[in-house]
Amino acid sequence: MTAAIEIRNVSKSFGDTKAVIDLDLEVPTGSLCGFLGPNGAGKSTTIRMLMSIIHADSGSVQVLGTSALKAKDRIGYLPEERGVYRKMKVGGFVEYIGKLKGVRSSILRKRIDEWLERVELPEIRNRRCEELSKGMQQKVQFLAAIIHEPELIILDEPFSGLDPVNARVIGGIIDELHQQGRTILFSTHVLPQAEQICNRIIMIDEGKKVLDGTVNAIQAQFDPRVISVEPVDKNCDLSKIAGTTLVENTIKSNHLLLRLDDQIDATEVLRKIVQTTPVRGIEIVKPTLDEVFIEQVARRRGTKAADQIREELSNV
Amino acid sequence: MSKTLTVAWREFRHTAMTKAFLIGAVIMPLLMMGLFIVVMPLMMEANTTPMTGTVAIIAPDDVVQEFQERLHSKENPNAELIEQLPDIVKQDPLASSMLTHSASNTTNIVLHRASITEVEQLKEDVRNGDLAALIVVPDSLLGNQTSETNDRLEVLIPSSFSPNHTDLLSSAVAKSVVDVRLSRLGYEPSEMYDMVRRPRVAATRLTHDGGEKEDNEAARRIIPMAFMMLLWIATFTSGNYLLTTTIEEKGNKVMEVLLSAVSPLQLLGGKILGQAGVSFIMLLMYGGAAIAGLITFALLDLVPISHLLYLVAYFTMAYFMIASIMAAVGSAVTELRDAQSLIGPIMIILIIPLALWPVLSEHPNGIIATVSSFTPPLIPFVMILRITASTETIAAWQIILSMVIGFGAVLGMIWGCARIFRIGVLMQGKPPSFLQLLRWIRQG
Repeated sequence: MTAAIEIRNVSKSFGDTKAVIDLDLEVPTGSLCGFLGPNGAGKSTTIRMLMSIIHADSGSVQVLGTSALKAKDRIGYLPEERGVYRKMKVGGFVEYIGKLKGVRSSILRKRIDEWLERVELPEIRNRRCEELSKGMQQKVQFLAAIIHEPELIILDEPFSGLDPVNARVIGGIIDELHQQGRTILFSTHVLPQAEQICNRIIMIDEGKKVLDGTVNAIQAQFDPRVISVEPVDKNCDLSKIAGTTLVENTIKSNHLLLRLDDQIDATEVLRKIVQTTPVRGIEIVKPTLDEVFIEQVARRRGTKAADQIREELSNV
Repeated sequence: MSKTLTVAWREFRHTAMTKAFLIGAVIMPLLMMGLFIVVMPLMMEANTTPMTGTVAIIAPDDVVQEFQERLHSKENPNAELIEQLPDIVKQDPLASSMLTHSASNTTNIVLHRASITEVEQLKEDVRNGDLAALIVVPDSLLGNQTSETNDRLEVLIPSSFSPNHTDLLSSAVAKSVVDVRLSRLGYEPSEMYDMVRRPRVAATRLTHDGGEKEDNEAARRIIPMAFMMLLWIATFTSGNYLLTTTIEEKGNKVMEVLLSAVSPLQLLGGKILGQAGVSFIMLLMYGGAAIAGLITFALLDLVPISHLLYLVAYFTMAYFMIASIMAAVGSAVTELRDAQSLIGPIMIILIIPLALWPVLSEHPNGIIATVSSFTPPLIPFVMILRITASTETIAAWQIILSMVIGFGAVLGMIWGCARIFRIGVLMQGKPPSFLQLLRWIRQG
């Protein structure tokens, strides 16, 4: 499979701040790739280089088999910071962006009507952008990013600010675009979101790539460090099991999650739990991307930084 | 190129096709043109309505007789004033109509001689409209006027009386009094008027190229200023639009979407081209209004066609200078108030031609005018002022040199401002200092 995005040894600094350091990554054509990392990891800088909005200090950026600049019209881009012309009408705004991407007005007008139907906003074509709610504006911007039917779609935090219903609508369209064979790069710092949607993950931290692969492969790489228990007695106390920490806010009310401390043998802990209380079910769960990422940070920057990242992620 | 034109069309459309612009830059000049071409001649026509009715006069016999003769004479009461005016004004139909309305105005007046005992009753008649006016000439006014007197010649008129008709009566009766004074002293008034009438002065400038040019002081001062102001209004208005739209695009975060589709240079080029259209419309509309005014007052020959061609050339130069500066500043800041601190120093430089206007128009070929006309970014403003103010043709080498330096500076400014724009459009937060902008030019 050829690469839709190919970045080789790319670095970018702003003054004394190194935003991207010697970055190497490939995004296969047709993949739905999550581009992950905490705030300030270098995601937006990398994306801006892909869009040739800014240029790398060193290294090469190839997009869709050519230079990023030449591929500009074949890429759809939804930036993290949303923006519309407040006084422009919705139809006019989307048409303007489409024309800048090289599509004729006559084609665009028809497409805009169809897409407004798709995102359940058929009535807003002649309304000014400033009259729309934030969620509606976000949908309009999403349309502006895909109206020229790009081969590569780069979405920076596409769900931020959307309510669950609208998020589902946009999620459905993203999935459909992926099914059509388009390559999608989905940038977010909400890792569980990427885990649900993406079939491939690239993770960066402090301007450097820390993980790259399919979700399953990444999860398989990491030693499972969490045990899920469904006790018969809901009031049983498992906090005394040595070598574990009880994780609050479990995914199901009658399940408890225990994180294993470093160097602790998982099978030994399983045996101790069963001895302590009768259980309906017990399993070692696959690590979430959050956990994988935290572990990566811990390896590279130490446990203090990992705790900080854990706190940031729990606040998302 | 098509992307640049797409940006240009949006920029033009969303600036020029707005209510505010249509009212300020299109409808207002059209109204001014309408005022000059239609309304003012109609107003002048209305002023020539003849005065009718009865005018009561309380005055000595010889004054009444002189007044009667003056009212029914075909001589224009403003003839003396008109004689002093320049030919250019005398030939103007509108100006003439404002000054020549005596004979037809007064032919329908009936004069009624009255006595001083009837004054109160006559005043009442004036109030009621039964009398057009009441004139009272005290005997004391016919004596030697070097002595102190509080007596006045009174013209009493109804509240709705036309100001023109008031002037007409006042002028005729005052002149009649003077005529009578002269007659009583044994002089012939018409001979005396001929003696005291000032001769006409014809100032003619002899130019170095061997030509002669009639001097017109008023036009020599006002027209150059009008040309320079036209450049100012057209370029700075659209320059301001460029500044605000760029800040708006940064402020509402649409800039990144645009830059994902076009390069910063395409965006800058499109914005400058779009606003050039806006600026040109303003030049046409306000220039058109000024030309309509000149046509109405028959002063069009004060503006030769070559001056209009120079106006277009220097407008182009001025616009691209101002536009590139405004776009660069707009790209560097996120709020309008931040832009003021960066534009301030530039405005101080650009205001020099306005401040020096009296000096430049008085000495259009002086050392200050010549030096500043080769100094960017003053060139277009100073040169248009010099060309229109000078009674001598500006040396061709000076015009050519100003064009070469000016358009060279335009290219340099666009280059520098494009480099600022490239960096500035992606910057957020604290506005850069002037020195930082210079650093961006080096880095860009």
